Amino acid sequence: MDYPLTVDIAFLLLAILAVVSGWRVFCTDSMVRASFFLLVSFIAVGVIMILLAAEYLGVAMFFMMAVEMMVMATFMVMFMMNPAGLNPMMMVHQHKFSIAAGVVIFVLLAGVALLAEFPTNPLPADLDPVTSLGNELLGDSMLIFESAGIVLLTTMIGVVVLSSHRGRYGGAHEGSMPPGLVPGGDPAGMPKEDEEEGGGHHHCH
Amino acid sequence: MIVSELLLPVFVVLATLAVGAYLVGVIDGAIGAALGAPRGQSAWLAPLTQGAWLLTQQANTTEAPDWRAWRLAPALYLALAATGLAVVPWSPTLIPTDLTTSVVLWGSVEALATVVIFLHGWSANTLLALIGAYRYVALGLSYILISMFVLIGVALPAESLQFSQVVASQAEMWNVIRQPLGLPLFLIVGLGMTFWGPFNLADSRDLAGGTASAVSGPPRLVWNLARAAMLVAFSGVAASAFLGGWLGPWLPGPLWMVIKMLVVLAVLLLIGRLVPRVQPERCVTLMWVVLLPLSFIDLIWAGMEALL
Repeated sequence: MDYPLTVDIAFLLLAILAVVSGWRVFCTDSMVRASFFLLVSFIAVGVIMILLAAEYLGVAMFFMMAVEMMVMATFMVMFMMNPAGLNPMMMVHQHKFSIAAGVVIFVLLAGVALLAEFPTNPLPADLDPVTSLGNELLGDSMLIFESAGIVLLTTMIGVVVLSSHRGRYGGAHEGSMPPGLVPGGDPAGMPKEDEEEGGGHHHCH
Repeated sequence: MIVSELLLPVFVVLATLAVGAYLVGVIDGAIGAALGAPRGQSAWLAPLTQGAWLLTQQANTTEAPDWRAWRLAPALYLALAATGLAVVPWSPTLIPTDLTTSVVLWGSVEALATVVIFLHGWSANTLLALIGAYRYVALGLSYILISMFVLIGVALPAESLQFSQVVASQAEMWNVIRQPLGLPLFLIVGLGMTFWGPFNLADSRDLAGGTASAVSGPPRLVWNLARAAMLVAFSGVAASAFLGGWLGPWLPGPLWMVIKMLVVLAVLLLIGRLVPRVQPERCVTLMWVVLLPLSFIDLIWAGMEALL
């Protein structure tokens, strides 16, 4: 293969960016920032895919991850006890287990990269990756991809329905009532109900 | 080789960015003056004066903003506008980036713009900016979907995801006639994505400026510039996708592009001055109930035409 030296330099810079921003995901203290650090990491991987001549998959990575991370950030802020994602919070938990899992997965992937035998048969130079990908997705494998897509969509809708039934402040069918500041205390941030009848009108006089 | 493959494309994009954003200010001022807005100085000088004034102002600060994101967001929005302009073909040979998936790259610019606009409002750590940011996220998804269906429509007759092929496929008939729903829908998306005129819901007056409510000085200048530049990028994409790009008699291709982009810009800015702002709740309904089904019809129309 011959390609200019700039491709190598670009690959190294993008790989460093992907790893560093991936590492920053776990160091930051905000869910919104963590989502967007992950987005930066994925964009760097997308550009590497374009360098590998996967022009459709690389560009698809940009818009899919942009929307996905935006939706993920919004959902995390909605479902967690962190108004608007502005309060600092710890982004990591189960330290021992996650460190062990990380080490095992790294060793496995590194083993695959070092030990696997990759195919070496070069493809014809005039092969159009976009066309062949389209034929693959919408040709013989169409049924598999479409059923997987429908199953994923159903799962997403089901998860939202199940989890939004009971929200932060109680059941969805009841009125929203924030929890008290002390256990068993009055709802936080709720003004005291007026005692007298027709209290809503008295301030007009 | 370096000149033709690196310097010329960068120069074309930067020049279009700067001149285009300035012309947006000029045309908008001229339309405003023609419609009876209070007239200050000449329309040619007003954008420059305003830019110079912003440049000399102090950059505002809020309580505990996310500094890096807050300062980066306007620059990133400008960079996205530049990326969008980079895929616009000026002639069969003068194309800054002739990626085979340039239509999809433009779709990614729209998707990433949602992230950047959200970040601009979120990182300021103030109430009205945050409301503007979440408002844009709620609307941005529908803009992206409408734009995607409309652009798949123009990719169908070209049988390619490349803007140069899309332009070449319009040699017999422009897409604005072949797919009559496409251009109006795309212009609405353009106004929505740059939150301009009737769809200015992220930076609107009812939020005292929305995501830009706490921004002043040079960052504000970059933000205003980026919005105008994104409008220019939109007009470039609209001209190539629907108005036949460089195609046209007598004049050279790039000149036709300039004329078509200016026409699209004038139409967008005129709508921006004439149509009142849509209420956010109604805008969501309008997008999902009216315009998204219309974009489905546009796509079915394009598909039937490609089959026949």
